[in-house]
Amino acid sequence: MRLLVIEDDATLRESLARKLGESGFAVEQAADGKEGLYFALEYPIDLAIIDLGLPEVSGLEIIRQVREQGRSYPILILTARDRWEDKVDGLSAGADDYVVKPFHFEEVSARVNALLRRSGGWASSVLIAGPVSLDMSRQELTVNEGAIDLTSFEYKIIEYLMVRAGQVISKAELTDRLYDQDFERDSNVIEVFIGRLRKKMDPENTIKPIETLRGRGYRFALERNQSG
Amino acid sequence: MRSLSSRLLVSVSVLLLLFFGATIAVLDTAFSEAGEQARRDILDGHLVALLAAAEPDDDGNLMLPARLREPRFENIGSGLYAELLDADNAVLWRSRSALGLEIPSGVAPELGNHLFARESLEDGTPLLTLSLAVEWEFDDGKLQSYVFKVAESLDSFNAQVAGFRRQLFGWFALVALTMLLAFSMLLRGLLKPLRKIETEITEIEEGKRVALSGAFPTELTGVARNMNLLIDSERARSDRYRYTLDNLAHSLKTPLAAMRALLNDRQTEGFGGRFNEQIDRMDEIVRYQLRKPAASVADNLVLKPVNVEAEVTRLVDGLRKVYHDKDPVFDVRVERGMQFRGDTGDFLELAGNLLDNACKWCVKKVRISIVPSVGARAIASGMVLTVADDGPGIPQDAADALLQRGMRLDESTPGHGIGLAVVKDIARSYGGRLSIRRSSDLGGAEITVSIPPVASSRTQ
Repeated sequence: MRLLVIEDDATLRESLARKLGESGFAVEQAADGKEGLYFALEYPIDLAIIDLGLPEVSGLEIIRQVREQGRSYPILILTARDRWEDKVDGLSAGADDYVVKPFHFEEVSARVNALLRRSGGWASSVLIAGPVSLDMSRQELTVNEGAIDLTSFEYKIIEYLMVRAGQVISKAELTDRLYDQDFERDSNVIEVFIGRLRKKMDPENTIKPIETLRGRGYRFALERNQSG
Repeated sequence: MRSLSSRLLVSVSVLLLLFFGATIAVLDTAFSEAGEQARRDILDGHLVALLAAAEPDDDGNLMLPARLREPRFENIGSGLYAELLDADNAVLWRSRSALGLEIPSGVAPELGNHLFARESLEDGTPLLTLSLAVEWEFDDGKLQSYVFKVAESLDSFNAQVAGFRRQLFGWFALVALTMLLAFSMLLRGLLKPLRKIETEITEIEEGKRVALSGAFPTELTGVARNMNLLIDSERARSDRYRYTLDNLAHSLKTPLAAMRALLNDRQTEGFGGRFNEQIDRMDEIVRYQLRKPAASVADNLVLKPVNVEAEVTRLVDGLRKVYHDKDPVFDVRVERGMQFRGDTGDFLELAGNLLDNACKWCVKKVRISIVPSVGARAIASGMVLTVADDGPGIPQDAADALLQRGMRLDESTPGHGIGLAVVKDIARSYGGRLSIRRSSDLGGAEITVSIPPVASSRTQ
C-alpha cells in the first residue's frame, strides 16, 4: 500500500514515514501543501495522512481539491488543534478520520489500517475469506488456523490483494503501490512473489486463493466471510 | 464637523439664514412696492392740479400761472418738477423748481394716456416721472396737443427704503443671534448626558470607576447598559485569559519537574513508559485549557446566532465516518429553525464532546435532542441539549463528583476524558447547567446541558 504523508514538521514527518515504512507501507512524503497537493493528485495513493496546518496550501484545501478531483482514497487528518470546530471542518471537507497531536504512533497505525480495510469494504481488522484469515493489526496470515510465515514483501502483496478481495489488480498497480519510488521496477518480480505466496498458502493447490487473469492481473478469489 | 453641537448649530444657522433671508426679501419688496404706489398717487394728484391750473394766455397758447399752489414747484431743487411740452416735445413751460435742470424728455405717451417712467437727471438723481398727453380745445374751437409732465426725485424715497432695510436687517440679525444663543445653550443641556458618559468612560479607563452609572435619560440607558455589558465581558475575558494562562503555566510545571527527575535517573525501570505518561499528562493539560469556552454570557452583544440544525448535521456526518466500524444509529431530534446565541466553536464543543462520548460508549444507539428552553421563543432562545446512549452509563459517584466539586483535571471521569469537563465549563460560561442521569429508554448515560435564554438588552 502506498501512503502519502503531508506534514511540515520534519522530525514528525520522517519519524512517521519511517515507522509506517517499517509496518510495510510504501510512503511518499511532502513537506508543504503545494508539494503535497501535487503528490495527492498525481501519485497512485491508497491513503493520505494530512496535517491541517500546512504552509502554502492548507490541509483543508488539499482535502477539498482531492475530493473535487474525484479521488476517493481515505484521508486521515493530523491536527494540533483539538477543538471540534477544526475536526468537523476537516471531516466535512472530505477527511475520514482524525488524530490529534501529539499522538502515539500506534494510534496512527491503527487508524490507517482501519481506514484501508474500510476502503476495501472490510468491517473488522481481521479479514476472513474461507480458510484464509489475515490479521492486519498483527500482520499475521493463517490458512486453516495454521500460521503462514511470510516475508514483508509477500505480506504486502497478500494484504493488498485481500483488502481488495474480488477486484482485479494489475501487475502495474501492484508494482506502483508496493515498491518504494526508487526501487527497481520489474514486473517479473511480482510473478515470482505471487508464485511463492501460492506455494506457501496453498501447497496442495486445493483452495486457490489467488487467481491469475491473463493480461489483466490478479484477483483474491475466495469469498469474504464478512464485509462492511 | 465631528461634534454634534457644531453640526446642529451650523444646520440651524443655515436654516435661520434661509428663513430670515426670504422674510427680508418679501418685506422689502412689499415695502418698496407700497412706497412707489404712494409716490405714483401723489404724482397723479400733482398732475391733476396742473391740468386744473392751466389756462390759455392772451396769445391763444396754453400757459400755467406764475405761482402754483404747490410750494415745492416754486422752490429751486425741491425735488418736485413740472413741465408743459408741446406736441414736438419742446418745453413750453417749466416749474421754477426745475431751474437749471435738464429733465430728460423721455417718451411721450399716446394721446389721452398716462405714462409712468423712471428717468434720471444729468447728475444721476433718479426720477419718477408721469406724463399725460392731452388735446386741448380752446374757446375758438382750435385743438392743440400738449404733454403735461411731473417728475419727482426718488432720492428721499430711496433713502427711506434703505433706512427700512437697515432696520429690517438689524432686527432680524438680533433675533437670529438670540435664537442661536438660546439654541446652543439648550444643546449644551441636551448633550450633557453624552459628555457625562464620556467622562465616566475616561474614569473607567483611569480605574476610578467600575461601570457607568445608571443615571441617564431613557434614550441613553440602552447605550449605557450595553456599554456596561461590553466592559464586563472584556473584563471577564481578560480575567479568563489570565486565569487560563496562569493555570496552564502552573499545571505544566509538575509534569516538567517529573520529567526532569526521570531524566536524571534514566536507568529506572519503565523509563520510556513513565516519560510518556508525563507527556500525555502535559498534552491533556494543554488540550483542556485550550478547549475552554471562547465566549461567555456577557458576550451576547457580539455573537451571531448559530444554525443548530446545520452544525449538528455536520457533526453527525463527521462522527459517522470516525465511528464507521461501530456504525452507531443516530437519532437526531433538533427543533426546526433552532438557533443558539453563542460562539459556533463553543456549540460544536458542547455537542461534539457529548456525541463523541456517546459514540464511544454506546452499544448501537445514540440520541441527540435540542429544543428551546421552556417558555422561550425559538430564535436566540435558551437551549436544552440532551445526548443519550445505550452504553453502560456513568457511575453515580463519578457523576456526582463531576457535578458538585467542580472539575479538576486529575478528577476527570475516567473514560469520558476531558470532554465532559470542557462541556461543563462551556455550559457554565453561558450561565447554563449540566446534568447527568441514566437514560430511561436507552439505558446508558443521558447528559443534559441547559443554556438559559440570552437576556436581551432591550427587554431587560
